[in-house]
Amino acid sequence: MNETRKRYLLAAAFLSGLTGLALLGLYDPARPGIFPPCPLRYFTGLYCPGCGSLRAIHQLLLGNVREAWALNPLTVMFLPFVSYGLVSEGLIHLRGRGLPQVFLPAIWIRALCAVVVLFGIVRNLPFHPFNLLAPGAPLHL
Amino acid sequence: MFCPQCGASNPDGSAICIQCGRNLLPAAVPMPVQGVVLPLGQTVPNYLIFAILSTVFCCLPAGIPAIIFAAQVNGKLQAGDLAGALAASRNARTWCWVSFGIGLGSILIWLLLMALGIVNNLAHHY
Repeated sequence: MNETRKRYLLAAAFLSGLTGLALLGLYDPARPGIFPPCPLRYFTGLYCPGCGSLRAIHQLLLGNVREAWALNPLTVMFLPFVSYGLVSEGLIHLRGRGLPQVFLPAIWIRALCAVVVLFGIVRNLPFHPFNLLAPGAPLHL
Repeated sequence: MFCPQCGASNPDGSAICIQCGRNLLPAAVPMPVQGVVLPLGQTVPNYLIFAILSTVFCCLPAGIPAIIFAAQVNGKLQAGDLAGALAASRNARTWCWVSFGIGLGSILIWLLLMALGIVNNLAHHY
């Protein structure tokens, strides 16, 4: 892929990300309308590990950290790292060099994978304390 | 000598950093390790960020192998197996795209079903 095309793609990705964030800030995904319901939740009634992420990011954009945490604590915890990584990826394509990175030993990445899968399982358990991990649960107690 | 990327202490004259796999040789010397050449100052990408994003937002069953291969990239780098790390890196990238593709495909089908009125937009959990 040539450099110019790469930059166009990068600019397109950046702009769509920005548009997505603006939409998320303006419209609450918890209300029906602009954001479609999740197919997995619609058909199975299950929460996936990412369930509540969009609603959580919406609350974060409004400055409501507690509400965001209640919707998806994993998203709130990992968002700074994921954002840093995305900025770094963008910089790699722009100037050939990303931001300083910490090398994660393989065992950490496997642990992270296990945390994501386990979180997806236990937040579906319908009893205390695991029901606190379901999206928005503590707000309704 | 210390690795300019991760700061790990390496024996003098090392070809790659024992911790992060960065090429430590000067620019004039390309690094042939098992027939693989890594450009100076580059490490093997593990695509972890995209693996996590595609797991959470696109397709969990295809995202998990992407994260496992991301772990394998770093594991092989730690073991000094550059060729293995590059192979795992390609696998990680493939699984990220598979997950992204399935996710995008299902969202498009989903939007189509909603546009046709086959499913309604009253449920609002995302």
